[in-house]
Amino acid sequence: MTSIGTGYDLSASTYSPDGRIFQVEYANKTVENSGTVIGLRVKDGIILAVEKLVHSKLLVPESNRRILTVDRHIGMATSGLLADGRHLANRARDEAYNYREMYRESPPLKEVVQRLGLYVQAYTLYSSVRPFGVSTIFGAVDKTGPALFIVEPSGISYGYHGAAIGKGRQIAKTELEKLKLAELSMREAVFEAARIIHLVHDDSKEKEFQLELSWIGEETKGLHLPVPKDLCEEADRKAREALETFE
Amino acid sequence: MYRNTYDSDNTVFSPQGRLHQVEYALEAVKQGSAAVGLRSKTHAILLALKRSTGELASYQQKMYRIDDHVGIAIAGLTSDARVLSNFMRQQAMSSRMVFNRPIPVNRLVSSIADKAQVNTQEYGRRPYGVGFLVIGQDKTGPHLYEFAPSGNSYEYYAMSIGARSQSAKTYLEKHFESFADCTLEDLIRHGLHALRESLQQDKELTINNTSIGIAGPASVHEKDVPAGGSFRILEGEPVEVFLKSMVPKETAEAQAAEAPAAEAPPDGAAPAQAGDQDVSMAE
Amino acid sequence: MQTVDMQQLKSGEVNLGTSIMAVQFRDGVVVGADSRTTTGSYIANRVTDKLTHIHDRIYCCRSGSAADTQAIADIVHYHLQMLTQQSGERPTVHIAGNVFQKLCYENKDALSAGIIVAGWDKDAGPSVYNIPLGGGLFRQPWAIGGSGSTYVYGYCDATYQEGWGRDETVNFVKNTLSLAMSRDGSSGGVIRMCVITEDKVERLFVPGNELPKFWEGEEVLKLIAPVKKRHEFTDDMAVEV
Repeated sequence: MTSIGTGYDLSASTYSPDGRIFQVEYANKTVENSGTVIGLRVKDGIILAVEKLVHSKLLVPESNRRILTVDRHIGMATSGLLADGRHLANRARDEAYNYREMYRESPPLKEVVQRLGLYVQAYTLYSSVRPFGVSTIFGAVDKTGPALFIVEPSGISYGYHGAAIGKGRQIAKTELEKLKLAELSMREAVFEAARIIHLVHDDSKEKEFQLELSWIGEETKGLHLPVPKDLCEEADRKAREALETFE
Repeated sequence: MYRNTYDSDNTVFSPQGRLHQVEYALEAVKQGSAAVGLRSKTHAILLALKRSTGELASYQQKMYRIDDHVGIAIAGLTSDARVLSNFMRQQAMSSRMVFNRPIPVNRLVSSIADKAQVNTQEYGRRPYGVGFLVIGQDKTGPHLYEFAPSGNSYEYYAMSIGARSQSAKTYLEKHFESFADCTLEDLIRHGLHALRESLQQDKELTINNTSIGIAGPASVHEKDVPAGGSFRILEGEPVEVFLKSMVPKETAEAQAAEAPAAEAPPDGAAPAQAGDQDVSMAE
Repeated sequence: MQTVDMQQLKSGEVNLGTSIMAVQFRDGVVVGADSRTTTGSYIANRVTDKLTHIHDRIYCCRSGSAADTQAIADIVHYHLQMLTQQSGERPTVHIAGNVFQKLCYENKDALSAGIIVAGWDKDAGPSVYNIPLGGGLFRQPWAIGGSGSTYVYGYCDATYQEGWGRDETVNFVKNTLSLAMSRDGSSGGVIRMCVITEDKVERLFVPGNELPKFWEGEEVLKLIAPVKKRHEFTDDMAVEV
């Protein structure tokens, strides 16, 4: 890597001669080495799915959730440094709360994401802090309908029909592009999400993983909730079967 | 002097996206003596090995009570632990005052985890150099959590931290499936067996160097425990009866050799190993 | 013991001793107000505009301290401009009402402001929100406010009906304000109104000499007149009217 040893990559407040901020790029590296997270924006809602890598069999499976709730109708999942993800979740909750406090309305996701982007961006400006080592997928059903965004360590945010971050994002993106997202129902999308997470997981290299799913939409009356256990297990089983026949 | 260019400071990512200062902080935890935690359906317990600097010195405290329903065992910098445990006590009391209820254990652990995360991101501070095992009981039953300086926290069936804790972990991984239905006495015995694994060759567990923390109803060997079974720490004399219940190591190994398949772990469940950033900043 | 009455205006402070009103109808809202601003017994402005623009399709009617309500309206205007820039769409009347309410409630000890917010938005269509003195927030089909309003509650209750069109609503507002202005010493001058619909905001003006007239006392004169005649003519010509 051309950046190493130049001294231009030791602080977020330093540009390299060709105008790059290496500390932000390194933060992206953290994300690129982490478990895959995907989000699907479909006809009537949003699905979030996480490849939760299990580093010890002593972990309590149902506990240690990776998908967090920001507001009644907003969910998020991070890929990267877990603790940074929690920090960001708390900030997102504050932003959503402030919007509610000011306007007495449930905040549109776009608004929360934009404000959070400003916050994340501030951590790319100073040598006294490091950028966030996470990318975050936000999903919500608000007054504009289903909405899906990614916030990156640079603070930039984009809206998506299908979003993927983390180690397996390339394969996941290819799979998402094959789907007719706008025509899928939430239930159908749960199975697709499970299948994609199983597909991107590399059994040979990786340790065990758990599939974590949440959704927002008509099925949940607009609330962000975990996908019910039985449906989650069914999706998990079908995904395994699909992969076996595939291979 | 530095091991590499990217490890002098919290606020610097390495080109691989790692945080070396945080990883070194996790090493500080391993400097502390071992602590073990495990839980059954009814109890969560802690066991810790106390160190003393010499014949004339007292043993370093390893466990702290946070609230009636929560206690911790520490490994690493004791002074950092005092700051964090104080913060936990404040959180616990504030929950009792504001909501008139004991704080849920996961909330308490998250509160220090969030606090620790800030120290991994801002210049001018260092990450905390201490790890906790937190046990407690709340509406959802007994719990065991690990807290690490990286700002991560996880809930476990059983876990060990501190020096040579990998050996204890290996013991726990081998036996944890049986813990759920254990009596308190059996659970403590398992805990002591696990803790024993972390001892140096010439050392053994004594009433002086062993602490036991319990959350849950009283053991047959305990007196004057409130009905709810609030958190208590056993040290000195009361520990003896539990130490005596242990199966001597040679005997235990002989038994294990006789029936090797009896408690073999399911395949594919390799112990934790190097490096996924996703789950820990360490190693 | 001396107590400070915060509701009291400072001596010389300009007061909107007022009649204001907003009514929602099928396609929009009509807001209206008198035009009198007083300092004590002096009319500081007899052609005041108490209908204040907050956003493209949101207006408010101000009552209480002129300074306070102007400042609040400015702040709300700022917030809604910011929100519009950030979100790229027009704010709802509901949002505007809540920002007003937040400011009025959180500073209730320092303010003297009774405000009615009304307008049209994509979500709710026409709506009217009333924010009276303490800083509460109430959605109502019609709202009246200011010192003059106390005299015309009965008239409004008896007259208002759902499902009106523009012209009926404008008349209702005009009549109500006229009645209030004729009974309230600190209301008067002209009537200003805005009709806010999806397509436009239309300003209406009723000069002081064209206010709707109600019973003006002529009947009393008519009764007296024949009695006079009785005196003028001879007693044998007595006529009952």
